[in-house]
Amino acid sequence: MKPVLSLKNKPLIIGSALLMAVALGTFILQLAGGHPQRAWQAYLINFLVWSAIAQGGLLFSALMHLVKARWTGRLSSLAEAFAAFFPLSFLLFLGLFIGREHIFPWLHEDLHGKEIWLNVPFLFARDFAGLLLLYGLGFGYLYHALTPKLRPGETDSGIRGFFTRRRQAPENTPERWQQRKTVFGLLYIIAFALVLSLIGFDLVMSMDPHWVSTLFGAYTFVKAFYIGLGGLIILAAVMRLTQGEASGLSSSQFHDLGKLFFAFCLVWGDFFYVQLVVIWYGNIPEESSYVIERVMRMPWQPLAWAVFTVAFIIPFVLLINKNIKTRPVFMIVLCALIIVGIWLEHLLLIGPAFAHHGAAAIPVGLSDALITLGFMSLMILALAYFMDLFPEIAMAQAPETT
Amino acid sequence: MSELTYATIDQTILQTLEKPRPGYWLIVAVLAGGILLGAACWLYQIFVGIGVGGQNNPVAWGIYLVNFVFWVGIAHSGTLISAILHLFRAGWRNPIARAAETMTVFAVLTAGLFPFVHLGRVWAVYYMLPYPNQRTLWPNFQSPLMFDVVAISTYLTVSSLFWYTGMLPDLATVRDRATGLRKKIFTLISLGWTGKHEQWRHYTRGYLFFAALATPLVISVHSVVSWDFALGVVPGWHTTIFAPYFVAGAIHSGLAMVLTLMIPLRRIFNYEKIITVAVLENVAKTIILTGMIVGFAYATEFFIAWYSFNTIEIEVFRYRMFGDYRVGFWIMVVCNTLIPLLFFSKKIRTSIGWLFGLSLLINVGMWFERFVIIITSVARDFIPHAWGLYAPTAIEFGIMIGSFCLFFFLFLLFVKHLPSVSMAEIKETLHEGAPHAG
Amino acid sequence: MPAERYVMGLFSDENQAAAVAADLPKTPWKLQRVHSPIPSQRLAHALKVKKSKVGWFTLAGGIIGFFAGFLLAIFTAMRWELMVSGKPVVSLVPFFIVGFEFTILFAVFGNVIGLITQTNLPDFGDFKHYDARCSGTHFGILATCAEDGQAELEAYFRQQGGEVRVFEA
Repeated sequence: MKPVLSLKNKPLIIGSALLMAVALGTFILQLAGGHPQRAWQAYLINFLVWSAIAQGGLLFSALMHLVKARWTGRLSSLAEAFAAFFPLSFLLFLGLFIGREHIFPWLHEDLHGKEIWLNVPFLFARDFAGLLLLYGLGFGYLYHALTPKLRPGETDSGIRGFFTRRRQAPENTPERWQQRKTVFGLLYIIAFALVLSLIGFDLVMSMDPHWVSTLFGAYTFVKAFYIGLGGLIILAAVMRLTQGEASGLSSSQFHDLGKLFFAFCLVWGDFFYVQLVVIWYGNIPEESSYVIERVMRMPWQPLAWAVFTVAFIIPFVLLINKNIKTRPVFMIVLCALIIVGIWLEHLLLIGPAFAHHGAAAIPVGLSDALITLGFMSLMILALAYFMDLFPEIAMAQAPETT
Repeated sequence: MSELTYATIDQTILQTLEKPRPGYWLIVAVLAGGILLGAACWLYQIFVGIGVGGQNNPVAWGIYLVNFVFWVGIAHSGTLISAILHLFRAGWRNPIARAAETMTVFAVLTAGLFPFVHLGRVWAVYYMLPYPNQRTLWPNFQSPLMFDVVAISTYLTVSSLFWYTGMLPDLATVRDRATGLRKKIFTLISLGWTGKHEQWRHYTRGYLFFAALATPLVISVHSVVSWDFALGVVPGWHTTIFAPYFVAGAIHSGLAMVLTLMIPLRRIFNYEKIITVAVLENVAKTIILTGMIVGFAYATEFFIAWYSFNTIEIEVFRYRMFGDYRVGFWIMVVCNTLIPLLFFSKKIRTSIGWLFGLSLLINVGMWFERFVIIITSVARDFIPHAWGLYAPTAIEFGIMIGSFCLFFFLFLLFVKHLPSVSMAEIKETLHEGAPHAG
Repeated sequence: MPAERYVMGLFSDENQAAAVAADLPKTPWKLQRVHSPIPSQRLAHALKVKKSKVGWFTLAGGIIGFFAGFLLAIFTAMRWELMVSGKPVVSLVPFFIVGFEFTILFAVFGNVIGLITQTNLPDFGDFKHYDARCSGTHFGILATCAEDGQAELEAYFRQQGGEVRVFEA
């Protein structure tokens, strides 16, 4: 059986390359055509969303390992594959520097002292360090999680060789390996919470520099796990559809994963409501202006309701049913829809600031969709690269030793 | 666990229901005395007025509210263990689920007294109920205090029903081995349960729904309690992080209380093979998680206070760290965030002495956390002219002692009269197909 | 008609009990009920029990509660139509909390009603043919047979690894 998610899959590569070319073209056209803000808005939103999917995806494996869950099986390996996007995410972050003039609305504002925190050098330095730490720990975890599952071969070289080489060393007993995996897993989880909070504060909340919400950091990382699970479900469903029984993924695993996904839909909704009710009730202008602009005024109000419907109501209603969670095609569609919903949610949060509070219409259109598809192709290629590098993960092997 | 059989499980647990030693009744009597002390203080307060407590202007909410939040918080981890961990199919929760759920019911009961206690005119408390009256007056359901009424009564009702339903199979087990009056009582309260397959089929489904409903309830109840503070505009209170922060803190203190209760319980009742050190260790590990969440919340609040560049917000937090109540603040930070980190050491989290001692410290810390949040924010809010201090009085301490005594009194009565470990659930977790008699 | 005899086979091993429970319908004797001290998946599978309907009661309760909560809050607010703290008289953001709590409360009531109606508890009728070991260490399979078939049934149970108890009438 030839794996579908592979760089050798010509249609996939050609399709992805095409989408990426179109995305790049659209991006450059917008930059040159006098809409740099729109271009960088799409870039930022996509950077945040796709990085979150990757970060949240890996988190699933780390979390399940730490609570000693026994139901995950191959799902943990698939979750680990998302780490392949980390280097791309890091480069994309660096790319934000190029667009800084158009990304940070507060750049030329008088921030009355807040400049010591909100200034380009410090912001990039701390977020650079944060992402480096997060991704470093993520790779540390990946290394210890992945290597025991690999079958070393004589021709292993390069990245794969790095993974399989160390494993042969005698001091690396299975216990020591598990211990290190646990430590890295724990550190990754802590870094996930801290670094994603920082990213949430710096790249989303501070777009409106005088608005604060203490829960925003936690809201960001909960959102990331939500769509990370969505990404994992899509990947697992694709594996199930293309490999059938040989995928090693049972319907009870999809059921459990679906339940966890449903739970985090509720957690995300709860974290959203919790902020809303406090701000609404206190009715303090410095806080409520943010919410009023986005939820009660045009042009953003329809977008707010769309986000709520797509990312909460629809999954809530559909995921209560047991059978739906075990249907791969259905879950792919639903999870894709939810990721679109969260994409729109990012737009809702940063869009008004990007438009300097003067938007006449919701700034979303074909160009954003095309750029998004380009980023999606990056993610697909990263996963395909990982699968080619580690065929043991691309195809199920029995038994899974997590 | 592998040396356990159905018979030894039954024997171990049913043994605990035998006639207690005189020492037991002495402790119960002392606790009853404590309750009477609390009742007397409260009675005094009702007759003389709410002013015998320390609350006044500007601190109108004192340790009655601190105790209210404290006890509701304790209740939450009972439901976490019995409901949420059931949904996650975490088998390690089975030995402690019954006692934890009991802790929930009694803690909510105790907590529920405090809204009554801190009212000036207790006799008018029925105004809070939505009943038709000739003046067509109704409670204001927009008020967080009314959310409290609805949430706490729901929580008490649901927890009690969950607790009772969960006990049915065990009540039948006791009935079948009891004689005389006890047999009559247990026949009644076990509702004729005989464990036939039609009963189990509905029971397991109903129990699953109980667990699935109790989970969002837990989150919502302590969120509602946190909104008693967060929905106001008082600096230090009005912040969006309160709901998840309070829920995490509640579970943190509740798990510590679980340790405080389970450790003596397993010793006195010889439950060591059932409530193993591994179970306690898992509780300790979960405490590390909740402690880190609480620490994260503290750090975020401080960071955002600084980031906001709002002088009032910054002053609130400076006052917490270095002001009149700084001792409470530092107790809070050390006990809630640093002490639980000690559980990273396997030695410490498998040592009964350490587990017990640290669990006490964590609850001291969590009590002080509520004290710091409630008192400091109100002692210094917007207008410097209106700043003032607060200190609890003897009456308030008397009622607080009464509440602790009430909780332990009820718990002590429970452990000698009802099975404190769920026999059916322990049997379920034994190895498949193992012989069950002998 | 020859009198019916109630015979119970008591098994300490869950697997044996499940095997007998699956086998008994194929024999000439009638399976009355199976008692067990734990909710056994194997027994449920052997007996091919259908999914319980309790959930529908829970759902009904939840839906009623959701609307009841909102209606209570909206009705009471509309009686005097006072604007409190500048909030709209009927405001859904805070009323959602009341609705949510009532949803859970009434769903639980529905759950309890479902349990009571479906299990028919309280029910003290089973004690006539019941053994105390069924709530402790054994799985009890109660079967009926004709008076003359009693010895056969007893032998069958013993052969499958269980102890036997015969009930008078």
